[in-house]
Amino acid sequence: MILIHCPYCDEQRPGLEFAYAGEAHIARPADPSALSDEEWERFLFIRANPRGRHHERWRHIHGCARFFNAVRDTVSDKFELTYKAGEPRK
Amino acid sequence: MADTPVRSMPVPAEPAVFSGVTIALAAPCARWSLRARDAALLEKVTGLKLPRKIGEVVGETVCLGPDEWLTRAPAGATLPDGAGEKVAVVDIAERALTLTLSGPAAARVIAAGCPRDVERLPFPYASRTVFEGVEVLLQRDAEDAFTIEVWRSFAPWLWTALTQAAADMEHLPA
Ligand SMILES: [Zn+2]
Repeated sequence: MILIHCPYCDEQRPGLEFAYAGEAHIARPADPSALSDEEWERFLFIRANPRGRHHERWRHIHGCARFFNAVRDTVSDKFELTYKAGEPRK
Repeated sequence: MADTPVRSMPVPAEPAVFSGVTIALAAPCARWSLRARDAALLEKVTGLKLPRKIGEVVGETVCLGPDEWLTRAPAGATLPDGAGEKVAVVDIAERALTLTLSGPAAARVIAAGCPRDVERLPFPYASRTVFEGVEVLLQRDAEDAFTIEVWRSFAPWLWTALTQAAADMEHLPA
């Protein structure tokens, strides 16, 4: 089983307790109605989808229930690190 | 005229006794979900001592998350609701029920469906986790004593899964 380090619980916890929540550090536009259709499309749908190092959101939903960010390798599925929501991109 | 509340229990009232573990429904109790960014303020409002580390248990109060606690008390107890303060004190007494597992095989029975390293959990300790796909609050009170709190609608399945694991365990070498 994959183990994920929750930065709030500060321990390794089984992957079954977590939920994936998409790419990290995508800020919602402050004024959505000012955006063109193309800009809105980019915010909603266009993602980096890298092969390798990926910044993503996870939620310790069956634990402390907090969202946090992780860097995971999309090839090896190895978690490089996790950090609290709101902290700068690592 | 006020209606009399009717409480039906979705699991048997009689304990299930196996060699090494007894699984039983605990008496109904009061439960509150406590939320606040400022733990000290929440302590002032409720008069409770709040553990600060996730997983920590002080008396009947558990730290579930960085701004979330659960506290329990005998049925009928009350707690100040903190109206007007930046805290949330929510009565969730009837949302869940508690099963107790006691005996030397209790940890192994729980490990049958829980991905945590159950035998190595410290005590007292409590945390949300999963058992056979169902979210539970797993608490360890002593080497051989656990409680599992689960939302009522999941309780029949949890009871079936736990008693089946305990029955299977009787056929395994210790
Ligand atoms: Zn956590």
